[in-house]
Amino acid sequence: MSNEPKVGVFESYARAISGPRIPENEWDYKIIPQTASRIKEKYGIKMDKKKMIPTDEKLINNLFRAGMEMLVECGVYCMDTGRVIKYTEEEVWAAIKTAPKRLVLGEGRDAVVLEGRRFDESKPPIIQGGPTGAPVAEKDFVAMHEAYAREPIVDTIVDGVCQTIYGQDPRPNTPFEIYAVKNEAMMIRLAQARAGRPGMGL
Amino acid sequence: MRASDSHEVSQLNELKIDVNALTFTAHYVLAGDIIMCEQMPIFGGYAGGLEETTIVDVATTLNAFLMTQAHWHLDGPIHVRWGITTARESLAVAGHCARAIEENTQCLLGNQYYTLAGPCTVMCLLETAAQSITDTASGREVVSGVASAKGVATNYTTAMEARFMGEVAHAVAGMDLDKVNRMLDELVAIYETGYKTAPKGKTFNECYDLAKLLPSDEYMQVYKEAWGILNKLGLKY
Repeated sequence: MSNEPKVGVFESYARAISGPRIPENEWDYKIIPQTASRIKEKYGIKMDKKKMIPTDEKLINNLFRAGMEMLVECGVYCMDTGRVIKYTEEEVWAAIKTAPKRLVLGEGRDAVVLEGRRFDESKPPIIQGGPTGAPVAEKDFVAMHEAYAREPIVDTIVDGVCQTIYGQDPRPNTPFEIYAVKNEAMMIRLAQARAGRPGMGL
Repeated sequence: MRASDSHEVSQLNELKIDVNALTFTAHYVLAGDIIMCEQMPIFGGYAGGLEETTIVDVATTLNAFLMTQAHWHLDGPIHVRWGITTARESLAVAGHCARAIEENTQCLLGNQYYTLAGPCTVMCLLETAAQSITDTASGREVVSGVASAKGVATNYTTAMEARFMGEVAHAVAGMDLDKVNRMLDELVAIYETGYKTAPKGKTFNECYDLAKLLPSDEYMQVYKEAWGILNKLGLKY
């Protein structure tokens, strides 16, 4: 492990305006499929879709190595600048080794702890309930989210998208988008409070 | 939004980002918010088949913790033909990716749910169960859903699907993996032949008594029927 500083959003942007320039269609139709295919062959990866969760340690570890190689070899394409953000493997490791291992979602008595669990553990995952970005009518928005918050097994809320704001279409990049998003957050807080879980995470 | 809420940023397909996403991520970072980085790799899309999509899924998951300084990652491998996360191939990508990441890092992982069938149908609940089993038994820390009926129709989502997702996760946690894989194979086989005739289901308003905010008797019967099928496959709650 080197002593290089951890790469984050600011350094990624710096590379997005200075990295190698590539046409987007070359990225989509050549670099991504050809690199993935070559790395798959290199590591001899073969999946069985009748076995959804792998038990073969070699396959599991080869998939990780292949994914790491894919990220380091390709980098990430910035659509606005037409350039590639490149990383070293050391930089990827520095980021994942320092990634959070435990955090708290929500507040007070409604808070839940999000921390690591193994595949064979009897501890269940966090249950995040909600429409998951699906459209919800403005008049039903609070009631629908309150129904999720009322479910004892639901730990946190993942909200839907309010289809209108006072009847207006909240189109992206317009003032009504901001109006709708702020109202969504307020309506979900109201729904959580009505369910008696005001500190619930969102 | 509070700092203890998850603040979302999405990566783009495949291994792509835009400046706008980096810009509001910079705000999250400086505000000390919890950052959740989302991404939905497409099976049958730019990457190609099962193995290639899984490799890209692993790569973009790792990138979440690097580029967007994510606290946790929200996956969602999606089938190019059906637009769902509950197809056999989507589940295989998610299950393999989660095991690869969990075995080699301590990163926190979640997955999101897009079913083909809609609320108040057995198919929707069985799809939800298959993904909840896959996610829980592959070591993910968060299950997040459900965007029923592909998450595109207004009011076609209810809390009953989330209840089912949660109960299944609690029921399967800790189960032997060979048993889980056999059960999953049988479960997916029940619904995967019905994609072309998948029922859209009913709206939230039709599924709930809105005065009491309680699910309808009809939905309770459907719910019981779906649990009956899971019981026969060996899952109890």
